[in-house]
Amino acid sequence: MAAHSRGHPAMRERGFSPAGTSPYWWIRPCAGSILFLSLLFLFLFTAAAASAAAPEEEKFTEELLLRPLPDRKALAYFHFRSSAPPAASVGRHHHLFPKAISQLVKKYHISELELSFTQGRWNYEQWGGFDPMSTNNAKPPGVELWGFKLNEGNLRYGALPREAVCTENLTPWLKLLPYRDKAGIASLLYRPSIYKGYYHSQKLKLRSSQSLGIILDQTLTVVLQPNTVSGEQLHSNHGQLQPNWSMRHLFNRKLSGKCLVSKSSRVFIEVDKGIVDNVNKSGSDLSWSNEFFVLSNSPDKLIKGQNHVEIQSSFLYVYDASNYTEEKPLDVGITWKLPLVWTCTPSPFHASRFLMGSGNERGSIALSFMSTNLHKQISGSPTDCSIKAVIFQVVPWYVKVYYHSLEIFIDGSRKTVSEVVDKIHVIPSEDKLLPGTLEMLLRFPCSMQSGTLTLDFDRGFLHIDEYPPDANQGFDIPSALVSFPEFSSARSYPEIDPVLGSPLLENFQEDSVVKSYTEVLLVPLTTPDFSMPYNVITFTCTVLALYFGSLLNALRRRIGEEERELKKTVVILKKWQLLASILYRKFVDELF
Amino acid sequence: MAFGRRSPRSSRHPPALAIVTALLLAFLFSAAASSTDAMHNNNWAVLVCTSRFWFNYRHMANTLSLYRTVKRLGIPDERIILMLADDMACNPRNSYPAQVFNNENHQLNLYGDNVEVDYRGYEVTVENFLRVLTGRHESAVPRSKRVLSDEGSHILLYMTGHGGDEFLKFQDSEELQSHDLADAVKQMKEKHRFKELLIMVDTCQAATLFSQLQSPGVLAIGSSMKGENSYSHHLDSDIGVSVVDRFTYYTLAFFEKLNMYSNASLNSLFTSYNPSMLMSTAYYRMDLYERPLNEVPVTNFFGSVMKTLHTDSAYTGFLAAHDYATPLSVGDNLDDHFMLKDRSTPRRSNIEKEAQLTPHGWTEVLLEQLEGKNTDTVVMYGLGGMGILLALSTWLSM
Repeated sequence: MAAHSRGHPAMRERGFSPAGTSPYWWIRPCAGSILFLSLLFLFLFTAAAASAAAPEEEKFTEELLLRPLPDRKALAYFHFRSSAPPAASVGRHHHLFPKAISQLVKKYHISELELSFTQGRWNYEQWGGFDPMSTNNAKPPGVELWGFKLNEGNLRYGALPREAVCTENLTPWLKLLPYRDKAGIASLLYRPSIYKGYYHSQKLKLRSSQSLGIILDQTLTVVLQPNTVSGEQLHSNHGQLQPNWSMRHLFNRKLSGKCLVSKSSRVFIEVDKGIVDNVNKSGSDLSWSNEFFVLSNSPDKLIKGQNHVEIQSSFLYVYDASNYTEEKPLDVGITWKLPLVWTCTPSPFHASRFLMGSGNERGSIALSFMSTNLHKQISGSPTDCSIKAVIFQVVPWYVKVYYHSLEIFIDGSRKTVSEVVDKIHVIPSEDKLLPGTLEMLLRFPCSMQSGTLTLDFDRGFLHIDEYPPDANQGFDIPSALVSFPEFSSARSYPEIDPVLGSPLLENFQEDSVVKSYTEVLLVPLTTPDFSMPYNVITFTCTVLALYFGSLLNALRRRIGEEERELKKTVVILKKWQLLASILYRKFVDELF
Repeated sequence: MAFGRRSPRSSRHPPALAIVTALLLAFLFSAAASSTDAMHNNNWAVLVCTSRFWFNYRHMANTLSLYRTVKRLGIPDERIILMLADDMACNPRNSYPAQVFNNENHQLNLYGDNVEVDYRGYEVTVENFLRVLTGRHESAVPRSKRVLSDEGSHILLYMTGHGGDEFLKFQDSEELQSHDLADAVKQMKEKHRFKELLIMVDTCQAATLFSQLQSPGVLAIGSSMKGENSYSHHLDSDIGVSVVDRFTYYTLAFFEKLNMYSNASLNSLFTSYNPSMLMSTAYYRMDLYERPLNEVPVTNFFGSVMKTLHTDSAYTGFLAAHDYATPLSVGDNLDDHFMLKDRSTPRRSNIEKEAQLTPHGWTEVLLEQLEGKNTDTVVMYGLGGMGILLALSTWLSM
């Protein structure tokens, strides 16, 4: 018991004896140092591994590109990219990437998705049809959806040509950004100036793969008329200066710093090929202050862009928004000194679409191509060349297209279909279920000035419940997509540092073919008289009421009763007659 | 003899008898008081504009004015269903894109920066409206398009457009009739989708639209009576059409003076309408509504104001409702609302409420037995009747 109170003697011996008394005293510090060193190595190793796996984290970048357009307007292009690493490394926790998108991708195994909301028509004649901006960001009016699923070769396409796009569509789009519109470049989005523009298109592009994770690109393309105070500015040479504008004129506010969670935040001012050629021709260089125009701030970087045949096609002035703060905001703008007129490079053919025919029974869709003689600029004028064009068109089921009635006219003369069409793929429509799809690969001669395709159709009938409330406006056929697979709109920027890490420029460097969308067609269908159901019910009920009323009346009547009624009236009448005759006799007697 | 012998006993039993009947009566009163069982704990707003075309700009402005008011006073977008039948802000005829005004001074942009429209354009139909009210949606309908209310919700339903005797016109092609609306409200009541409902209608002959309602807990106000038209307030010569209706204009005039902390009552709102200014009689019916209107603050429907209960003890979550050993320190104000309660707790808070009025142990056991039948006053009365019978038989057997 005494041993218990004092502790077990054996334990005391084996207890913590002071250093130096045990024979293995040197092991402990050695062991301790070995342990410490191993821990240190482990720490360093994980740190190295973490830094090596630095791409394994979510990233967000924001960029803005401004460009003057030849018809006195300005283009503003907002680009936001969020990327999430592959799921295995990061699990389900997101701190920058919107969770709704990652859930969507995981549930439906989406490999690529593009959803755009557009109002207005991209003016290919004035604003260009050959550069990456018009190829990727010129979208048809309304809503358009392209989608691919993983491990499936099918393309899913949908279009709503008449969907109105307004602030309420921008609100959920902005909610996908880490700071919404409270900070960074998205704070420039002044709604009245966006929706006052000539064209605005918000787009969401999603790409996902096992190796790269998910990349979400959100872009907003706006073509604005800058509201400059000065009206027409005349130059001494009787030319007209382009309007001077800055971010304040476009968005009513200045950029007061970058979004804190974004990896980089840049503003680009781009002058495209037309301006570059003019400036080079007059002998001056493209510094930020030259004889044609001067920018309001000195840029942080200058980048030269080239098109796919290595001709200089654009020049970019880069501003880093992290150098600016609330006290010293960024308000970059352009002031013109000499009048300048230029054109943007168009696509090889201007494609447009219209309806032919009259009446409510049948009509024709016509697709016309007008040459812009681009091939002469690019590759001289060889005699025996041809330009390939691919047409993709979706037609709703109530416009019943007769694909056998396809006719092709080149420069006014009719050609057989097999001369011009290399491939044609048709998915016919099914009533009330499927729209009809048409895909064609055509080969036009380079020397063609104008070409037209026509297709006949019949107008279908809809059930009375399927008409929208404003049925007399008509129904829409979504835009057709015309692409030219031999022409690439990709840009290259040979002088930039690949570590610049600009997703906007990466997108411009991606290989993409020249595409353009045609107009949406409005087809008036026969509308029924919507008051007819009411009229029919009223008439039928009246007729039935009259019939049953008279039938019941007739059935209720009894034969004998009528005769008795008749007798009664006759008796009463006779009595009155008797009375009348007595009175008359009396009266006559009195008189005579 | 029997009389003489009975009197000393009857003098002994009345105290026991009185106690038993008093307990029973108190219990019955508490049962009767618990007919509105759940606590008010959230607010919803369903704002519907049923008119299409540019010349009906004022109906859109009416609805957006209410939307702005309701958001300003605290109801978040998640609990507002906004149905706009046409697009006015980005209409090609609107010379002020992305802006909707309800006054010709253009001081207030009702559209703002964060508007969220749940049903737009062709989606605003009578079918979708009734689905929103009754909650009978197809499974693919997203949550933002549903009214996810429960038995503790107060719902504000505002409708504007063109209407007539017992109907409201939807988009110039179909009608909502008063008996359809009454049926939907009845379904809502059966499914416990609201605690109280305020219907506000701004159309011609608006009062006829809610003439068929019979569900309890519903309050309704219309801008005009049968045979009267409702008029627009003024024309904006810049926009080119009338921009607001009179009834909504004066409603907004009332609300612009308020903020979230005001306790103006519904009575002051309803009596603020002047028939000569409205050029119609704003008629309201409160026969289905049991609370007196001067005690109901407007933020009960138009805002989202929750009172908080301060407790000195640590927050023990749901255990607090059952743990009578540590009662809440604010014992006198149990009518105040609790923050952040979910569906299961109104029953427990009800138990607490009744525990205050009657001895703890007995009613708790009894109500535990009756879980799920919270408004079953018949059972309560039956029990009371049995108790009375027992008392009577005891008295008779003396």
